[in-house]
Amino acid sequence: MKMALKIWRFEPKTGEKVLRDYEVDAPEWATLLDVLDIVKDQVDGSLAYRKSCRMMICGSCGMRMDGAAVLACKTRMYEIAEAGHVPVISAMGNLPVVKDLVVDMTPFWEKMHAVQPYLQPGYADPGETEHVIAPQQMEPIHKEALCINCGCCVSECNSMEADPEFLGPAALAKGMRFVGDPRDGQKIERLESYSQEHGIWDCTRCYFCTQRCPKGVDPRDAIAKLGAEAMKHGIDRDMGAKHAKWFVTSSKTTGWLRETELVPKTQGIARSIKEIPFAMQLLKKGKVPPPVPPHVAKDVDQARALYDLVKQQGRDGAAGIVQGEKALERIEFVEEVERREQAE
Amino acid sequence: VTKVAYYKGCLASLSAKELDISTKALAPKLGLDLVELESVTCCGAGDIHEAEPDYYLHLNARILAYAEATGTETLMTICNVCTLNLRQANWQLKNDDTLRERVNTNLEAVGVPPYAGKVEVKHLLWLIAEGEGFELLKGVAHKGLKGLKIAPFYGCQILRPSKLLGFEDPDKPSSLERIIEACGGVPIDYPAKIKCCGFPIIQAREDVALAELIQPIEQAMEAGADAMVTPCPLCHLSLDAWQSKLEKSTGRTLGMPILHLSQLIGVAAGFSDSELKFKRHVVPVTAITDKLSV
Repeated sequence: MKMALKIWRFEPKTGEKVLRDYEVDAPEWATLLDVLDIVKDQVDGSLAYRKSCRMMICGSCGMRMDGAAVLACKTRMYEIAEAGHVPVISAMGNLPVVKDLVVDMTPFWEKMHAVQPYLQPGYADPGETEHVIAPQQMEPIHKEALCINCGCCVSECNSMEADPEFLGPAALAKGMRFVGDPRDGQKIERLESYSQEHGIWDCTRCYFCTQRCPKGVDPRDAIAKLGAEAMKHGIDRDMGAKHAKWFVTSSKTTGWLRETELVPKTQGIARSIKEIPFAMQLLKKGKVPPPVPPHVAKDVDQARALYDLVKQQGRDGAAGIVQGEKALERIEFVEEVERREQAE
Repeated sequence: VTKVAYYKGCLASLSAKELDISTKALAPKLGLDLVELESVTCCGAGDIHEAEPDYYLHLNARILAYAEATGTETLMTICNVCTLNLRQANWQLKNDDTLRERVNTNLEAVGVPPYAGKVEVKHLLWLIAEGEGFELLKGVAHKGLKGLKIAPFYGCQILRPSKLLGFEDPDKPSSLERIIEACGGVPIDYPAKIKCCGFPIIQAREDVALAELIQPIEQAMEAGADAMVTPCPLCHLSLDAWQSKLEKSTGRTLGMPILHLSQLIGVAAGFSDSELKFKRHVVPVTAITDKLSV
């Protein structure tokens, strides 16, 4: 059947950027990658794009279709062509374009290296035998381990667009993959490192990464797990962590957010003083609710009691980012294994 | 008339009271009978989810339980962040009986009714955009927006992740546009309408947040918008209150009026000052109220 595309071409030698139309005959089962192959074979051999496995595992063919990052080999064209839609294909975002649909992945790999994406062994040398890990022990980081480094999440990250130094969803999800690995011995050092400027607390929670990931890694969830693990281990000096803690305090004391106190509790007194002119401007409009008397929710003592109760049950940190009770059972199994290993 | 449990969340109780006031004025006209929940707390805004995740789940289960106890099937929210936090917890509780049993045991231990998993969390936008609300809208918005150009700003957590939200196409949403048209306005299109306003990190990383915030305002201006409308009080706060900081950092005059969804419809419906509370906005709304001679 006829399949049509518009492709943003970029020629680095001349700096020319132009949107070109293409129409080819392609089989009904064709993916976007198949259609690009036909264009390259039959229409214009100079079209540049990356590909390798053609089966969603190498992570080479990340690109944008109508502005949204996709894996070309995962994207079927039949329904799009059938609907008469002509999609616009362009290179991924947040990475420099080399030519046409090819981006320079260097910034991506630099951030990946920065999180030390390899085990820092922390287990006792098992000697002559191999170190045995039960499948259940890896289950809590199952999602994070699915990453194929395609860059679709990074392409769409709103924080990285605003702060190019942000470690970003792919590197942080990789970080969680090692923080949650029972064999890794540098968990605390990792959490300290990822909690710095441009780390965990730079995430703006736009959820584009989770929306776009073609493999179900759910990077935003991984970043939340890192935040939860960091705070569980008392790594909470960052303003982002202080901001999060104030919500907990508020919910236990008044039930609702103690909004006006959020600024000094997050930024500290010295920094907050600089914000006084801005606050005065908001005050005039009633946007600085007076902290006294506090706006207290009915039956807030129940929230406080719930807090005490769940704290006793000890599902702090990433274990509390509930992936369903089955996952929790597995986490408990892991802890049991670890206790047993320590006892031995 | 549909009875719905109403969870207004923190901001509409505090700095964005105008949202609560205009929502309460609007709801009955759109066939919604609001039962306001009282024994409820903050949803955690994603922050408690990160700081104390198990506590987050229980806080939201408690809100859902009290919503269920009103005998309604719908819990109405007026904030993107509340919507995602409640729907995320609800998804976990509905899909995992063992988990719900544990949470319910804890809820009952502190005197909260158990949650059977029968509640659906829906944003006001969704209730208006589908079914009866939309039918009533045209009659309600009798004064109309007289062709004002309105830039819809969705924000993030009413669209993504779509597996938890799923009301409409997260890349090509249309609910706000349809409402703007039904009110006699002209929706304008611009790429940043589905992007982030920066609010979650506006305290901890203001520079990063402002670099996000400039995009939708700038694009809406370039597209000739008279005002922007958003379904989220957090987006409203950053777009409206932090706009002055953008003006300072860019040296440009922006002056873009920002309306809550309930205010936009309220204007078209001829609501009074006391129902709209535009005086509580930082950026004056006079540019559009003058045009409509409100």
